[in-house]
Amino acid sequence: MTGSEVPHRAHRPVLAALLAVALLVLLSLGVGSLPGEAAALPAIARHAMQIALPRWGQAEVVSEIVYGSRGFDTFGETFLLLAAVLSVTVLARSKEPRAEYVGESTAGRREQREIDPEQAPDRREAQAQSAERDEDDEEAAPAAPPPDADRMRLAARAPEPAEAMTVVLRVTARIAAVFLAVAAIYLAAWGYSPGGGFPAGAGLAGVVILLYAALGHRRLSGLVRPSVLEPVELGGAVLIVGVGLGGLIAHGSLFANFLPLAAPQTILAGGDEQLYSGAELVEVGTGLVIAVFSLLGLGHDWVPDDDSDRGAQDQ
Amino acid sequence: MTAAGLLPLAVLAPLVGGAISPLLARWHRRLPLLAGLVAVTGALALLLVLAVRVYRHGPLTHFFSGERPVAGQALGIAFTADPFGMVVAITSAFIGLILLVSLLSEFGEVGRREVGGLAGLVQLLLAALIAAALTADLINLFVWFEVAALASYGLTGFLLERPIALEAAFKLLVLTSTGGFAVFIGAAMLYDSYGALNLGQLHIALGAGVNRSGLVAGALLVGGFAVKAGLVPFHAWLPDAHTPVPGAISALFSGLMVNLGAVGLVRLAVLVYPLRPGHHLLGLLMGFGLASALLGALLALVQDDLKRLLAWDTVSQIGLLLLGFASHTQDGMAGATFHLINHALFKTLLFLCAGAVVHATGATSLSQMGGLLQRRPLLACSFVLAVLAISGVPGFNGYVSLDLIHRGLQSTPVLEWFARLAQVITVAALSRGAYLGFLRRRPDEYDRLDTPRLGMRISLLSLATICLGFGVFGRLLVTRVAAPAAAVLGRPDYYARAALGLPTGPLPGSPVEFHYFAPGTLLPALVEIALGLLLAAVAVRWAAPIRPIGWLQRLHTGSVNDYAMCVTAGFLITGCVLLL
Amino acid sequence: MIICNYLAAATLFCLGLLAIMLHRDLVKIVLGLSLMEGAGYLLLVSMAYRRDATAPVLSSPPPGTSAAELVRGRVSDPVLQNFCLTAIVIGVAVTAVFLTVAVRAGQHYRTLDADKLTELQG
Repeated sequence: MTGSEVPHRAHRPVLAALLAVALLVLLSLGVGSLPGEAAALPAIARHAMQIALPRWGQAEVVSEIVYGSRGFDTFGETFLLLAAVLSVTVLARSKEPRAEYVGESTAGRREQREIDPEQAPDRREAQAQSAERDEDDEEAAPAAPPPDADRMRLAARAPEPAEAMTVVLRVTARIAAVFLAVAAIYLAAWGYSPGGGFPAGAGLAGVVILLYAALGHRRLSGLVRPSVLEPVELGGAVLIVGVGLGGLIAHGSLFANFLPLAAPQTILAGGDEQLYSGAELVEVGTGLVIAVFSLLGLGHDWVPDDDSDRGAQDQ
Repeated sequence: MTAAGLLPLAVLAPLVGGAISPLLARWHRRLPLLAGLVAVTGALALLLVLAVRVYRHGPLTHFFSGERPVAGQALGIAFTADPFGMVVAITSAFIGLILLVSLLSEFGEVGRREVGGLAGLVQLLLAALIAAALTADLINLFVWFEVAALASYGLTGFLLERPIALEAAFKLLVLTSTGGFAVFIGAAMLYDSYGALNLGQLHIALGAGVNRSGLVAGALLVGGFAVKAGLVPFHAWLPDAHTPVPGAISALFSGLMVNLGAVGLVRLAVLVYPLRPGHHLLGLLMGFGLASALLGALLALVQDDLKRLLAWDTVSQIGLLLLGFASHTQDGMAGATFHLINHALFKTLLFLCAGAVVHATGATSLSQMGGLLQRRPLLACSFVLAVLAISGVPGFNGYVSLDLIHRGLQSTPVLEWFARLAQVITVAALSRGAYLGFLRRRPDEYDRLDTPRLGMRISLLSLATICLGFGVFGRLLVTRVAAPAAAVLGRPDYYARAALGLPTGPLPGSPVEFHYFAPGTLLPALVEIALGLLLAAVAVRWAAPIRPIGWLQRLHTGSVNDYAMCVTAGFLITGCVLLL
Repeated sequence: MIICNYLAAATLFCLGLLAIMLHRDLVKIVLGLSLMEGAGYLLLVSMAYRRDATAPVLSSPPPGTSAAELVRGRVSDPVLQNFCLTAIVIGVAVTAVFLTVAVRAGQHYRTLDADKLTELQG
């Protein structure tokens, strides 16, 4: 199958609409008989309200549940995020030399040949290919800066689009970044936002992305490197595991509180929850940055070029 | 610290291993997989020690965050190690260990970052599977469902040079995410209606009567887990995701990951939803199970890609598993529990062999293979041995579990006959695969045929030995391991007490017995095998697929839109059956 | 009338699903899934809502109520709000992987048309 002659799928809109409407009826039946706004809170929720202050010293009940009573869900989520980051980095990785024969690559080349349309690359593709060759050629002199970001050649190596941004934009981004970063850390430190470290980590990642957009990759490349971020991320994960184990050792239950309770609404309130939230901040912030930058730095495709390919086959 | 306090460590170890793997790869490319070996071995040892205790003294329950249930209401999360959960968790850890060994030998020499990512994702997936088997909290089950899903996305797309890997990853993403959202909304609706998250508390709350929102929530949950389990009509991602990945990863998906869906379904249908007040959850699962068993086997019969053949067979086997559990007889449930272990063993063996052939030759389809008995006798013999086991040849492990499942279905003879028909087709499909792929003569040499490394050979030999050993000691394993698990599955009140941390006493007894040479066991098995071989001969001789199967194949258009429609239709069927 | 919210969430969910069933553009399929996700958030937050209730924060109760009253249950359901946070994190993670896969698939197949990503069939 080449997929070149795709049959007309006239049945789809009708069938899809029917299915969607039928499912809507089903779901409406379900949500229609939910208890609704007048029902009493479930006993579990009332229990959460009751223990938030005495047991965890935390006035923010949602945060208490996230990092306290149901801290293990959050723990799972942390590793979910880690799995996502790892998946993105695996999928966005560039080719590495392989020391031995991998039969699946041969199969992959065969499959690619079956898919590839028998036509010369169009203008955009040719442009991208030439840009790729430029990239491989380390010595090539950088082209002259473009007049503005919109006239950049597709996938050109240098200079970056950000360098063509106006001064106003770059300065504003720098100032905004400071405010955003402070706000994010404040969120986590005082834990008044539900979730604490999660939104704060997302905020910090946002700061990095803002700076990337305004200042360009090269300015940030010293900071945003996998060799820097990955150990930090691991540090966050280790801290979270440590918080969990602390509870296990002190009280025989993973994620039980093992730190003394400070007065509510102070920076140390919530026992080990604040530590957990801080670790989550590190984990989420670095994780998101790694994922976004892997996606942005998604380089060469893995479609075998005809000439580079033959060498790999002979290895 | 009590024994129950050690339960979470079995999850923690592979999680930490997964987190540090990408970093370890920077030092040396073999470190991540070695760290994986250490972590998973630790988890396995711990689980085995705890399992002994569970089987002797009854379930263990660990409450997280020091949050114990108050008056039967549990805000916190609990791990409850019942025998069934322990069986699934130990299977995951053990097979995971074997897979890490074989990955180390086959993919240990690729790029560093590749190995780091691969080892990390495999360990995260294993940890999620162990946690999902042990958890007694619906939302927590969903969280591990998603961890497993996210790890599987990266693993499916791992071989970036294969375009079909990305295609498969996209389909997997669409279908699994849909299933995940459904599970999540279903769980939240159940909480809103019944105020319960803990499976035991939920069972007690639902016992008072299931209202309409409870049934719709049930439909969403069942549909979501059925996507993960790969039941027809939620199955479309499964054959695709198994085709383009390394053999060990296919084995991980087939032998272990689909079990997560099965665990969810079993917990819901057998332990959470009450059996009496007029709904048809078990009947529904029987229908899905039967459809999967037949469709999977039929489509396996006509595949040309070896790994795709095995993947379709997984659809069939998981259907059979669900038939066993949904029969709700002690025989059927014990058989299904044992078959879950057996399926993980022989399907892993099959996929490792198939993957080794692909890895060494680059050939993926049966028409490109053949002649491996002379060239690679170990691979060919392992594959044939696994086929014998899956076919239920007396003396192998499949013989025992298949018989028990069939016996569990005896109260509805139609179901039993269809299950036996599916078994005949399964025998045919796999014998055809073994003949075309390995046994038949091949005059011309392969362009390339590397020898399997030591680690691979160890994996193959140990799995083959266990398949034989579990057949020989089948009776012992059924009465000592599977029957107690089935006994707890038959007593939801017992599980509910355990999940809520109430004293339970020792495990309930179970009447399940197995006799090797009972005529009712031996004769049907032999007849099935004979018929299956006959069918295989027909299929090989007249290579053109039998007409109706070709029609079934064309239904699987490969378009993600069509597959999404199948899933939606599946949700509708589930909902209608439960509500009507 | 919180039931309107529930129904809106159900409608959004089905619209998202409709997008997945109809649209052939991979990115639009991802958007459809995001819509389903959003429907989930809406449903959860609406289920957490209670009439005359306030936020589950114990620090400064609104005038006319006391912290003790909040503890007895005159608040929105904090447990469901916690699940909503869970769902948001999962949504972000899934979307990131989704986009990466879509880009890679586009590189191989030179198209984002789902009907052309049909090498695996039958």
